[in-house]
Amino acid sequence: MTTNGQVKTKYAFYPGCVSKGGCPELYEAVVQVAEKLGFELDDKALESAGCTGAGVLSKEVSDPINARTFAMAEAAGLEIMTICSTCQGIMTQAHHRLKDEEYRAMINRDFLAEEGLEYKGTTVIRHMLWAIVEDFGLDKLKSMVKRPLNGLPIAHFYGCYMKRPPELMVPKEFAKTRKTALEDVIEALGGKAVKTSGRGKCCGFPILTSNEDNSMAMLGDHTLDAKAKGVKAMVTPCPLCHLQLDGKQADAEAHKQEEIDMPVFHLPQLVGLALGFTPKEMNLQRHLVSTKSIEEELGIGVEVKA
Amino acid sequence: MEVKFAVKRYDPITNADKSTQTYTAEVDEGDMVLDALLQIRDEQDPTLAFRGSCRTGFCGDCTMTVNGKGAIACRTKVKKAWDGAEDGAIELEPLKMSRQMKDLVYNAREFHWNKFRAVEPWVDPVQPPEKGEHLVPGGHDKHLTESMRCTQCGLCDQGCTVLVVDKTFVGPAALTKAYRVVADERDSRKRQRLDKLSLPRGMWDCTHCFEASEHCPKYIEPTDRIFDLHDMAIKAEAGPPKVVHHYKSFAASVKAHGWLDEGRLAIETEGFTNVKGLMKLLPLAVKAGLKGKHPMPYMLHKKRPGHEQIKRIFEKWESKG
Amino acid sequence: MPQHDVLVVGGGFAGLRAALGARASGADVGILSKVHPMRSHSSGAHSGINAALKSGDSWETHAKDTIAAGGDLSDRSAVEVMCQSAAEDVVALEHMGVIFNRDEEGRIDVTTFPGSSQARTAFVGDSAGHVILQVLFEQIVRSEIRIYDEWFAASLLMEDGMCKGVIARDLRTGELHPFHSKAVVMATGNLGQMYNGGTCSLTGTGDGVALAYRAGVPLIDMEMVQYHPTTLADRGILITEGVRAEGAHLVNKKGERFMERYDAEAMEMSTRDVVARAAMTEVRKNRGDKGHVFLDMRHLDKARMTARLQETLWLMDDLEGLDPSEALIPVKPGMHRPLGGIKIDTFGDTGTPGLYAAGECASTGAHGANRLGGNSLLDCIVFGRRAGESASRYVRGATWSPATADLVREQEEMLNEVTAKDANSDTAGAIRRDLGEIMDKNVGMVRNLRGLRKAANSVAKLQERFGALGIRDKSGAYNVELRAIREVGNMLDVAQVIIGSAEARQESRGCHFRSDFEARDDENWMKRIVAMHSEDGPKLDYEPVEAG
Ligand SMILES: Cc1cc2nc3c(=O)[nH]c(=O)nc-3n(C[C@H](O)[C@H](O)[C@H](O)COP(=O)(O)OP(=O)(O)OC[C@H]3O[C@@H](n4cnc5c(N)ncnc54)[C@H](O)[C@@H]3O)c2cc1C
Ligand code: SF4
Repeated sequence: MTTNGQVKTKYAFYPGCVSKGGCPELYEAVVQVAEKLGFELDDKALESAGCTGAGVLSKEVSDPINARTFAMAEAAGLEIMTICSTCQGIMTQAHHRLKDEEYRAMINRDFLAEEGLEYKGTTVIRHMLWAIVEDFGLDKLKSMVKRPLNGLPIAHFYGCYMKRPPELMVPKEFAKTRKTALEDVIEALGGKAVKTSGRGKCCGFPILTSNEDNSMAMLGDHTLDAKAKGVKAMVTPCPLCHLQLDGKQADAEAHKQEEIDMPVFHLPQLVGLALGFTPKEMNLQRHLVSTKSIEEELGIGVEVKA
Repeated sequence: MEVKFAVKRYDPITNADKSTQTYTAEVDEGDMVLDALLQIRDEQDPTLAFRGSCRTGFCGDCTMTVNGKGAIACRTKVKKAWDGAEDGAIELEPLKMSRQMKDLVYNAREFHWNKFRAVEPWVDPVQPPEKGEHLVPGGHDKHLTESMRCTQCGLCDQGCTVLVVDKTFVGPAALTKAYRVVADERDSRKRQRLDKLSLPRGMWDCTHCFEASEHCPKYIEPTDRIFDLHDMAIKAEAGPPKVVHHYKSFAASVKAHGWLDEGRLAIETEGFTNVKGLMKLLPLAVKAGLKGKHPMPYMLHKKRPGHEQIKRIFEKWESKG
Repeated sequence: MPQHDVLVVGGGFAGLRAALGARASGADVGILSKVHPMRSHSSGAHSGINAALKSGDSWETHAKDTIAAGGDLSDRSAVEVMCQSAAEDVVALEHMGVIFNRDEEGRIDVTTFPGSSQARTAFVGDSAGHVILQVLFEQIVRSEIRIYDEWFAASLLMEDGMCKGVIARDLRTGELHPFHSKAVVMATGNLGQMYNGGTCSLTGTGDGVALAYRAGVPLIDMEMVQYHPTTLADRGILITEGVRAEGAHLVNKKGERFMERYDAEAMEMSTRDVVARAAMTEVRKNRGDKGHVFLDMRHLDKARMTARLQETLWLMDDLEGLDPSEALIPVKPGMHRPLGGIKIDTFGDTGTPGLYAAGECASTGAHGANRLGGNSLLDCIVFGRRAGESASRYVRGATWSPATADLVREQEEMLNEVTAKDANSDTAGAIRRDLGEIMDKNVGMVRNLRGLRKAANSVAKLQERFGALGIRDKSGAYNVELRAIREVGNMLDVAQVIIGSAEARQESRGCHFRSDFEARDDENWMKRIVAMHSEDGPKLDYEPVEAG
């Protein structure tokens, strides 16, 4: 029905592992912001869905798992909403492969039939960022802003999977909305989107175990470039990027022998702040790099306790 | 159609300070950047150096940076480049991974071909049949055939995020070539190759960021081929122990719970017995734990409903071999 | 100072195969190439390689087809060697790692190419050439054969009646270096850059042919310049015959399958000379559209096309923005492959001690007056290998001393002369374009005395312009101007030979068509034309062909 005069948009919610594991603050922020925007997140439809595989599992096993997820959303008649670039990317790629009828039939037959499921190939998967710009609308978002970001210079950091492979993630029909989705949201919230060299690059998280030096060099480069461009905070739609940008920033400082001190927001947190949520409600106190400076810039933060 | 090219010129002797020279050319709508450059060389400036050979996108010679992005000049329409030009001219530079040697010519030998050699890019057949060809019923794997279309143009390397911070990384172009031999069933050294590719600066330094695939003009999907190499290595238990642990633990976690257990992953990645590695984890874990961010390692994961189905899918896959 | 038993000049199919052949028979080998081997023209070959691999086919039938397609002018022993070795050489490629499309049993699959009576073209989708070049190069790396890439062979070191190496310019530094070697295998490929609308890579400037010619080595079959029937109308990019092998039609602007008029039996599957001339005739009779005809692929199965012709579909899309499942593809014949070149026997021997040759820059006479699709690659592989092996055998027995310092100095001075001259407003590139226009117009698919004379005069004038060229770029590094000058000089010399030979052959046969001598004349012309360098232009001689 309606919240704020909006018709509710209903999604099969796929929170992903990280938002419930390493970044619990994200999950809570999403739930609150979604409610405010009038998104109805059905958390039952995909309750028993599995991990996407995150690019770690072989496609041979992750494709069936994802097909199962798609089949469940399809049965519920809902689009899937993700809040993680990696989930979105891996699912979109699987979704693409599953367009091949022969392949889909094999997966249905060999993996899903036993559970009584069948994927017919119709599921749509949308990241919350896209849902905001495509389903909700930037104008509406703008009209709901209670605490404009006052021209704060913010760097958009998409992560790998929101942009690549481009023909899947930013196909022609969505070029208008997706090419600059994150910048557009920043601007709608009253901030100033600043282009940095790392904006579409890999944060370095995936090679943390195999080559920490390179991982830290990448992280350091991206954050330091943002700093050099006068950026006050970064925002990302990917919790894995957040784990890296925020969680490992101290290590990057050590690696680069240079202070970085760059606060990093999950997308919904930034939206939430602008919509009037308190830093506490957005769980900003859980970040490793303090967001105090931003709270002060926006004239809030005094009431926040750790 | 009149267009302008801004060429970043360089000559070690006569133009060491890298001036930019602008050329104006009258070209046809359908012309490619290489056609325009040839025209400029023939009609205006015979000193302009660039590479080029087959003119059809098969040899990988005429690579350059067009408006900031790596491109094959003979497959890039002037019109498209002109439409995308930002400062009133199509910007041309050499590929950026290695030294500019002159104008649009970069040092391919130093960078590209050395990496190529490093992956031992040839098939060592087990024992070629005495008479006739190897039998390959069902034909070669689709991806192997596809990867044979690689021209070693190196554009994926130019796109690679890791090479930006570490020039010693083997890079996606050489890894695509490596895939070509590892995936070839006729080769006898699969395991040995996977071990070698797993050495430092090898395939595990790839972040899977899909830049390589985005930059490949041949739609070869080099990123996916690197994924495939990883898959093959994990199956063969090749690869650095830490990484194999990481992958196995990830799979075990999803298999058991339906989803990922990050605490377990972190510990198992470092190895239960790797005290030093675990100590390294501690600061982050403790800090994050205090802040309520990172799940503490000892927290046991709640099994997800449906986990038994995920387990079933795993078992089915494993039984397929 | 680089020194090898065998120096191979050229890194395409022929050069790489020669190098492997020489290496396998024990020689120390170096490869010198003006582009990196993987960047060779060979990388662009699409369709496949011929060999009688299937039961029901035999090397004899293959030979028969080859000779028939070649207008009976083929050297019989060369055809025999080529067709007889084909199966083994193709299987050897498979052992090296070429993947090849497979049939149901998992054996190498074959398809029927225009002009062949049997299915005998082994293929890899539509990128056979690319794959084979890659695999040959893999083997070069494996054999640790030294590669001098981006070195330009500028002249042959000839002394005591033998070839003792080459002088080459390092493109990186601009410096000349002598390469002393007991034997040289010339494998420099095509000369098509002397035409404007050809299918040939930018490297195809006839360098090896010119170097040998000026060194006194005979050239042969130079009038035979084959046109490919289907190149993209705007850009002259080749569309593989595989398209017609898959069932594509050729239609004129009225939509008629015009091959009915020219070869009602074979239709689009007729030989190249016939199809190319048919397309041209349609255009001349105003049944074409703006100078071209069309390939109609709209009725072909889409999935099969994607599987077999992927690269071709991309070419059409990238270059012309056309989807053949919906649109007709405008095509016209384009200059494709010279059948003549340095005269060699079936061992790649030029007759000059120490000098061997193979591939497109040489001719055994196997292709006669017209070449079958899929035979060119085969030629490079078979005769490349044999040239390498022969060179290796030769160096074992050769008594040899390196070229004298005097000779080296003299040659280097000659080659550096131009660098001292200041440039006028002319450029090598402009001369090349003008040469192309002359050759397209007068020495193309249809020739006649008037046109050929005109061409000879025009080329003489271009020679004068060439002589006056100087140099703007005074730097050694990557001096492309210097390279272009040498290349155009080579092309001008070779063009003279083509024109002279074409004028001499007063008949029409295979790809050589004289509008003033339209008929084939077996009585007078069962012979091949040999050309030797002399101060006053090419001196011609004739060599009979034994029919049978
Ligand atoms: C588009 C296309 C499709 C084709 N399809 C087929 C097919 O399907 N089947 C078939 O049988 N044939 C086909 N051909 C023909 C076949 O590709 C050629 O005959 C073959 O590639 C010739 O090989 P090559 O080794 O003689 O010459 P190239 O591949 O041209 O190699 C010549 C080498 O010589 C070097 N070189 C030249 N000059 C010098 C110099 N001055 N100094 C140093 N190095 C020099 C070059 O760098 C190069 O490495 C096709 C040709 C084209 C263009
Ligand atoms: S994978 Fe693609 S981009 Fe990389 S070298 Fe090969 S063809 Fe070029």
